[in-house]
Amino acid sequence: MGRYIARRVLQGVGTLLLVMLLLHLLTTVAIQLNGNPAQAFFGDKVASESQLAAVEQRFDLDDPCFDQVGNPCLGPFVERLGEYARGDFGTNLRGREVSDIVATAAPNTLRLFVVVLLTWLTLGMVLGSVAARRRGSASDHGIRLTSVLIDAFPVFVLLIVYRYVVAVPLHRWAEETFGEDSWPPYWFKPSFDADHPWATVVVPGILLGLAGSAAFIRLVRAGQLESYQGDHVRTARSKGLAERHVVVHHVVRNSSVPVVTAVGLTFAEALGGAVITEGLMNIYGMGGVLWEAVRNDDVGLVLGVVTLLAAVTVVVMIVVDIAYALLDPRIRYE
Amino acid sequence: MAQITTRITATVGVAAVALTLTACSPSDTGGGGDDGQVTLETWISQDMETLLPGDAGSYDNISVLDVVYDGLVRYDPETTEPYNYVAESIEPDDENTVWTITIKPDLTFQNGEPVDAEAFARSWNHTADGDNGLYSNYFFSIIEGYDDMQPTTDDDGNITAEGAADELSGLEVVDELTLEVTLGAPFAGFATMLGYTGFFPIAEECLDDVAACATQPIGNGPFQVTDWQQSQELTAEKWADYPLDETPDYDAIRWTEYATGETSGWADFTAGDLDLSFPPTAEVEAARNDPELSGRYVERPGSALTYLGFSGYTDGPWDDIEFRKAISMAIDREGIIASLGSGQATPADSWVVPGGVPGGEAGTCEWCAFDPEAARAALDEAGGWPEGEKLRISLGDDEAEVEYFTAIGNSVEEVLGIPYELDIDPDYFTTRAEQGYDGMFRNNWFPDYPLNENYLSFYASGEPGAGHWGWYSEEFEAKLDEAAAASSLDESVALYQEAEGILAEEFPTIPFRWSFSATYYSERLDNVILNPFSGAPILREIEVSAG
Repeated sequence: MGRYIARRVLQGVGTLLLVMLLLHLLTTVAIQLNGNPAQAFFGDKVASESQLAAVEQRFDLDDPCFDQVGNPCLGPFVERLGEYARGDFGTNLRGREVSDIVATAAPNTLRLFVVVLLTWLTLGMVLGSVAARRRGSASDHGIRLTSVLIDAFPVFVLLIVYRYVVAVPLHRWAEETFGEDSWPPYWFKPSFDADHPWATVVVPGILLGLAGSAAFIRLVRAGQLESYQGDHVRTARSKGLAERHVVVHHVVRNSSVPVVTAVGLTFAEALGGAVITEGLMNIYGMGGVLWEAVRNDDVGLVLGVVTLLAAVTVVVMIVVDIAYALLDPRIRYE
Repeated sequence: MAQITTRITATVGVAAVALTLTACSPSDTGGGGDDGQVTLETWISQDMETLLPGDAGSYDNISVLDVVYDGLVRYDPETTEPYNYVAESIEPDDENTVWTITIKPDLTFQNGEPVDAEAFARSWNHTADGDNGLYSNYFFSIIEGYDDMQPTTDDDGNITAEGAADELSGLEVVDELTLEVTLGAPFAGFATMLGYTGFFPIAEECLDDVAACATQPIGNGPFQVTDWQQSQELTAEKWADYPLDETPDYDAIRWTEYATGETSGWADFTAGDLDLSFPPTAEVEAARNDPELSGRYVERPGSALTYLGFSGYTDGPWDDIEFRKAISMAIDREGIIASLGSGQATPADSWVVPGGVPGGEAGTCEWCAFDPEAARAALDEAGGWPEGEKLRISLGDDEAEVEYFTAIGNSVEEVLGIPYELDIDPDYFTTRAEQGYDGMFRNNWFPDYPLNENYLSFYASGEPGAGHWGWYSEEFEAKLDEAAAASSLDESVALYQEAEGILAEEFPTIPFRWSFSATYYSERLDNVILNPFSGAPILREIEVSAG
């Protein structure tokens, strides 16, 4: 196990470096082709040569390689790696610390995804298990049909309808009924509120979880169906174990491997943010940060954020692999 | 039995969490504005990066800084005329070259430091120092000694040497409350510039730690920034010791930051959580037809001009004024604006915003009215459009603008039969600066201070073939110089109007539309006036009733 983990960590670091290099090359090419972000800083104003040069220097874009298309700009990249190694993640184009941006945005995104995950697990485990247990029955068909319908309903439609049609009257009603100084109005606030992050993230999280739950329901159902037909389940039943015990210990546990994978992947994906949900509900999260950073050719911010994301992803994947071993003793890594 | 116990425990656990959630009231969690304080709830865009006056150049930080700092002058909300505020007096010499600024006594910053001549000199020198790369740097180019403070660059635009000087030689602190400013050339409108954010004073403490000051400004205005969770919300509370009189009655302002600007706050506005907002396009019509809302609405034409320019530095039919006239008269400004963006713009027929700044008059452009007949006649006179060629219309990457310019292209094609192609250039600013266009392209100008000069001076390219449009007029530039040296501001404004007349005659660019400012406000608000210049609600004028 130890050797396996060491190998995976090394692989992870390699992947990380590769991802960073790739991103660095992409943003560099973007700057070389799109011209200089420093020029955009002045907008419609006519900037003199020396003003432009000073701004380039301020943004760390003064390396001449940014003007030569096709030059990989390895100098600034190596410099940046050195800074990362010292724990300095640099600043964005306007001098704000990347670590500060991430420290503000990541918790919001994680809050959102804690809610999403709980929604998934609740819906997926309950509906998926019921469907698997009553295979072929009306409830099974009903659940499968529902999951297809959910798939057909894009999250942004759900959110726009919720904001304008549901949240506004509910929020007003809650304020009148419970008073402005109570929790219910915050649950139905049409936008995120930084002072009440948990209360205002619950509903968007549930809606986003709902919108993404279809695949999860089907995954749980398929996993359990497979288990129901397994030899170990037949054996357990023939030993006279209670059905509840069989389901919980032999079916659910054994079919949890793909579920854990899905949860792990979701978590990693979550850090990348849910651009649409965050944008619509005005949640300042990783999705929006990354989206804007890429749009503005903000090399420092893109690299800083993605490096952190990639690092977290690698860690999560390793954790998932270890969880496999715990869930299923047959999985051995030696 | 064991299972039941687990379930009961779980339920009890959930209930306990729920109780803890509801036990404390939400306002205990900070945010301010609930302990009998009257808070104005408004919005800014999420990309606000700095509150350092010398580095602020966007609608958002300018509107925040307007209540956090006081400038030497402020502008009349109706006429945009400047009047002295922190300044006791601002007097030019006979040539409009040496200006003596006297500051009112006993003013302080929010940290107790004096607001004196030194505070202004300190701020201006810091911003004028080109090595700092600040946004408002270019404002100071009119003051003597500016050039010595800029870095030197080689042909590739790399810095070869830093600016030699650290202080503007034209800035002299005569005594504690007197500042003498020597300009590089006469300029009658200098006092008008002084209300702009770039000219605000800064405290010594601010210069010692510029990074901290960019997020926690030390102002001299009626409000003090108390809490800025960057990209989420910004709160400013009334500064108790504010010595001057332009301060509103409410206690605090909270700006919620929205990722996609103003319209994303509309749902919060309708839910009663925001005091100022404007609906997204899909909701505009509904809001307009809501009798309850329409009484709480203000609008006025904005002062930003979107206009068309030509690549006068390349050969083409556009070198002929008749061709440019033809294009201008072929554009159905009214029709395009009515059909796009819910009419949130005003057709432009002048180069200076009418009624928004001194010297701005409507109708200075005689060829800005839609007239297909005259347009075709002018095109014939210009010799027509070359067969098989397409008119290229270039612009930056902006969805809303692409819509407008597609409509302009269609209008031209329909009336004149000139086929066009849109060239969406993500590198627009650089291409334009390097004279890389061939055909027609979009331009936009948002003025810095309310004077008609500000709409005209950037046409002074200095030599034939230079500038964004390759346009040069000796007569025009002489007129600008004459206006700058005029003995009074009124005279100066009149001479600038004459310069606009020259522009209208030679017609290098085509005015298209003025921006448009509008906002809905909540029942709590009264006296909501839009700044004729920036279009932002003037926060110092707003009255908020409690509740």
